[in-house]
Amino acid sequence: MLDQIPASELKHVGKQTRRIDAVEKITGDATYVSDMILPGMLYARVKTSPHARAKILSIDTSAASAMPGVRAVVTGKDLNFKLGLYVVDKDILAREEVRHFGEAVAAVAADTLEIAQKAIDAIKVEYQELEPVLYPKEAIKDDAPLVHPDLGSYSYMEAAFTPRPGTNIANHTRLRKGDIEKGFAESEWVIEREYTNPSVQHVPMETHVAIVQWGRGDKVDIWSSAQSPFTLRNLFCVAFKLPHRNVRVQVPYIGGGFGGKAGIGIEPLVAVLSKLAGGRAVKLTATREEEFSLLPCRSQLTYNIKTGVSKDGKILAQQMTMYWDSGAYADYAVNVTRASGYSAGGPYEIPNATVDAYTIYTNKPFGTAYRGFGHVEFFWGLERHMDLVAIAIGMDPVNFRLKNTLKPGSLTLTGEKITSHTGDIDACLKTAAERIGYGGITKEEEALAAKTGRKIGKSVVGLHKAPAMPPFTATAVIIKMNEDGTVTANISLTDYGQGTYTAVAQMIAERLRFPMERVKVAFECDTDRDPYDWQTVASKGLLMSGNAAILAADDLLKNAYGDAAQILRANVVDMDHDAEGIFVRHRPEEKVTFRQLAIGYVYPNGNGIGGPLVGVGRYIAQGLTHLNKETGQGHPALDWTYGAHGMIVAVDDETGEYDVLKVVSVFDAGRVINPDAFRGQAIGGMLQGLGTATVEGYIYDNRGHLLNPSFTDNKIPTSRDLPFEVEAIGIECPQLDGPYGARGIGEHSMISVAAALGNAIQHATGAQVTHMPLRYEDVWRAINRKEPVDNWITRSPFGSCKSNPEIGKYQCD
Amino acid sequence: MLHDFSYHRPSSMKEALDFLAQNGPKTAVFSGGTDLFVVIRAGVAKPAHVLDLKGIPELGKISWDKTEGLSVGACVTINTLTEYPAVREHFPVLRSAGEELATFQLRNRATMVGNVVTASPCGDMGSPLMVLGGEVVLASSSGERRMPLSEFITGVKRTLIRPDEVVSRIVVPPTWAGAVGGYHKLKRIKGHDLGVVAVAMVRKENTIRCAISSAAPTPVLLPDLAATSSVEDVQKKAQSMISPIDDVRCTKEYRSFMVDIFIKRLMKELEAAA
Amino acid sequence: MKHVKFTLNGKPFEREVLEHRTLLHFLREDLGYTGTKEGCGAGECGACTVIMNGEAVNSCLVLAAELDGAKLETIEGEAAADGSLTILQDSFDKHHAVQCGYCTAGMIMSAKDLLRRNAHPDRHAVIEGIEGNFCRCTGYEQIIEAILDAADNGAAAEIAERTKGGDNA
Repeated sequence: MLDQIPASELKHVGKQTRRIDAVEKITGDATYVSDMILPGMLYARVKTSPHARAKILSIDTSAASAMPGVRAVVTGKDLNFKLGLYVVDKDILAREEVRHFGEAVAAVAADTLEIAQKAIDAIKVEYQELEPVLYPKEAIKDDAPLVHPDLGSYSYMEAAFTPRPGTNIANHTRLRKGDIEKGFAESEWVIEREYTNPSVQHVPMETHVAIVQWGRGDKVDIWSSAQSPFTLRNLFCVAFKLPHRNVRVQVPYIGGGFGGKAGIGIEPLVAVLSKLAGGRAVKLTATREEEFSLLPCRSQLTYNIKTGVSKDGKILAQQMTMYWDSGAYADYAVNVTRASGYSAGGPYEIPNATVDAYTIYTNKPFGTAYRGFGHVEFFWGLERHMDLVAIAIGMDPVNFRLKNTLKPGSLTLTGEKITSHTGDIDACLKTAAERIGYGGITKEEEALAAKTGRKIGKSVVGLHKAPAMPPFTATAVIIKMNEDGTVTANISLTDYGQGTYTAVAQMIAERLRFPMERVKVAFECDTDRDPYDWQTVASKGLLMSGNAAILAADDLLKNAYGDAAQILRANVVDMDHDAEGIFVRHRPEEKVTFRQLAIGYVYPNGNGIGGPLVGVGRYIAQGLTHLNKETGQGHPALDWTYGAHGMIVAVDDETGEYDVLKVVSVFDAGRVINPDAFRGQAIGGMLQGLGTATVEGYIYDNRGHLLNPSFTDNKIPTSRDLPFEVEAIGIECPQLDGPYGARGIGEHSMISVAAALGNAIQHATGAQVTHMPLRYEDVWRAINRKEPVDNWITRSPFGSCKSNPEIGKYQCD
Repeated sequence: MLHDFSYHRPSSMKEALDFLAQNGPKTAVFSGGTDLFVVIRAGVAKPAHVLDLKGIPELGKISWDKTEGLSVGACVTINTLTEYPAVREHFPVLRSAGEELATFQLRNRATMVGNVVTASPCGDMGSPLMVLGGEVVLASSSGERRMPLSEFITGVKRTLIRPDEVVSRIVVPPTWAGAVGGYHKLKRIKGHDLGVVAVAMVRKENTIRCAISSAAPTPVLLPDLAATSSVEDVQKKAQSMISPIDDVRCTKEYRSFMVDIFIKRLMKELEAAA
Repeated sequence: MKHVKFTLNGKPFEREVLEHRTLLHFLREDLGYTGTKEGCGAGECGACTVIMNGEAVNSCLVLAAELDGAKLETIEGEAAADGSLTILQDSFDKHHAVQCGYCTAGMIMSAKDLLRRNAHPDRHAVIEGIEGNFCRCTGYEQIIEAILDAADNGAAAEIAERTKGGDNA
């Protein structure tokens, strides 16, 4: 909506605007849950499993319970509640069996953190270790032990998911388009490869933290560093069978989330402790180490792609098989599987396609949403594959992509028709290519190569993503005018750094014609006071909440105009407004100010009319459908945001060491609402993607123990790890149903960065990496075609092209 | 959150040593605390007392003279060390290694003595001090003893220090003063990281000396080699003495390989600088 | 318990502190100075960076008991009492050098420390100066730009002036 307004007519939208939350964060004033101490508050600690899979034989809590200052001790056998977002499969504390390293088995609330820790240390748990299920592809074999023998008895969201009782498959997403056999038969080349990546931790700087007070009459107050207050409340109420009105969730400032705080986490456990402690508030703050294994991570993926290509480089058929390692619980992983399933081919037209995406239970920390929602993982394989196919058939990788991109009239994997308003992937790819000087080497690059002996490699990759959300996802915004004519907007989409609130404030200011100083978007979210929002995930916030905010502003104006029409005795169609007030267009001196209207207009004699000005905007996704469970056909996408990265690397082909010289990130944002915030999302996500690409990842031993649950051995990028040059470019092909034409880009910046790195390294050295991250050692192994090393990081260091000679005509290894 | 312990801050060496004579086995001595409080938080160490050396004036001293060499007190931070003019002038290898150690904030607290007493195989100061012939001075209420670092460090986080002793200072004799030197360290990211494997090397006149970290339980000091030695000879010698392992940071294969690479790079670099 | 006297952002304090209390927890839980954050508790992330006796340190690895006689600077001492921001803070605002805000206090203290040592750092010096501070949101670029711009706008002189005035040290 409002996408047709030219930029020249806009005062706030698209203009440089400071963040509305910067000052409190820069001064230390912003209060996060981790900063909060409530009167009488107790502190909780958790006892976690040292084993990946074990029977709990006994738990002795007697010493802990007897300690002075201990107010509540709880174990799994006290708690008969099941939790689950899509598949209801998780206990609050492990009951008979622990299913992953780091799983909670007991918890304590005490007067101080120190006492709580001592009590935890005093709890004795006797385990019988069982053989853990660790490898997803082995876990789906018939004789594999079952992580959830009772899968058949769990409830789940039937419209979207297909668990297979009696197996470790938590979900199978199936998609069928065209005739794949025919497509392969007509192909000149058939190329198949497998790409893998490990689990990764989100690393929000504020770890998960919650305070819960379970008061008398089952009235529960929750303060949580959570992305989605309403989903948290809903899942909480379902688990404990409480009426929604009894539970209030408040979310102040949040120290990062990246998807890891999207659903429900530690809140139910803290709630139980509070109830047991007689209703005192209890706080649980995850340690950084607990963040790695008590709390969820990003799923590991094995992605097999078999592609058939015509003589002139058109993709004719693609068979895609994904093995998503869910870990011990399904959480968001089943939906990651679903969303990745329908996006699996990328921004390319594939006439004949199959997707089989499996979510597989194993005995590892469980997977959840993480920025990109599966796309970072599968685009690693897909965009590596695009390059490898192009090289194999002797075509330039960028031209190969451009030949196959989705264009107006193309059908996506789910049969959705692309229009000229969907976005412009070609412009993204071409801009990225141009900005890195793709296809050539500059004098400076040549000089650098000569001086350092390093080899220069350049790559361009594409990406796309649509919000992964129920087809009926909805939100609302309420705008209230204050006595002085300023406005406060209430919204329960959270802003944990993305800058959405600033963008929403800009849109409200634009629509009301107010200066920014008169618009507040209230930061602390409160399910008792704010209107509903589904979740803060999926890069849908800007579009949906932006639309709702525009509608709320219009509603507020409608109310104000109604009052003004009476006061000015004029027709609404003859009135207009500016920042100050509403006036009659042909007699502008006849004006009533917003300040006069704000809480009800008062006539000189004391009569009042109107009342406090409020505007309500509701928005629900339009025209989306469930997907057919057999064919995957339907309309899942609110919008597709396209993008591309261009990357230049310099690689030492003797050692595998490399520098990333430049990254250019291009996104078709529809309309860039806030250029600096856009840039922050683009560069921030790119570096997070580079962290995934270069170094991050869970490492286990063969008993399923996580070996690197801390910053000592799970590094993340520092300032030194920023590429030497970074650039962010917005393409603006407006989204017709986006606010001012805008679409989300929050997750997209992270997608395909790893593939860009892998491709650039291959162009520089010939290294055929198929597993990320690409540590220097991995690159070295790939250059030298060394044998894989069997840990989760260095497995599969070089490609194995397994095209079937009977079908294809090309074989590379 | 740290477990309960008592904090002691003696203001003289005597006071510190008397305390250790009484409570040594239950006491952890610290200055920067950048390792101690990490291991206490992790539950790896549970001392009843911590003894803060920063109240003892002489331990904060750093000095240089031509006869004794460089003397670095227990409380001299890495940042003080790397900024110290005599270090910059005479012992570039120390500066090079010091600047690779952790982050600026940590270097404001971490000390060279602490790094050496911790005796982690990946400690950054071990190999450069070994090539320079560094010695530790151990003090206790029964007197002082002095030994080369190569003897002092005996294994992974193991040294010859007794519970009643503190390392009061490290002395770097003037033998290698003026040697060109460098420290190359393999990290997993470009930012701060532990040394996955590292090589320190100095060259003076016709001799080169090389030591290797993170490739054996202790830093490995190679015998002195002629500056005219071929790269291959030095690499061969190094490979015969190291015993790297596979771990989450790296394989032994790549560690060995990078030792050779760093030797090659350092020899070239030092030849150019000499 | 240990008796300590120190100044915090120029104001005198006198307290009994638990001997095993870290400076970070002392600030946050005992004094209610929650601007300084904990990101790891192990000296890796820099979120807890404060300036102690003129030097940036990880407050998670310092004991409160070490505070006797110390001069401490934390984020709470940066903006003036009337709410006006320092040049450095304003530059963070202007450049969108803040997203979730959790690393920001530590980042600003590291940047302040850098500008005190080096009034006109180049890009490389800025990158080195904040190496010990993880930021998971911004990708650092806008933080680097904010610090460089602040230096150009006289941030170092302002820091020196305020230090001299005893305002925050």
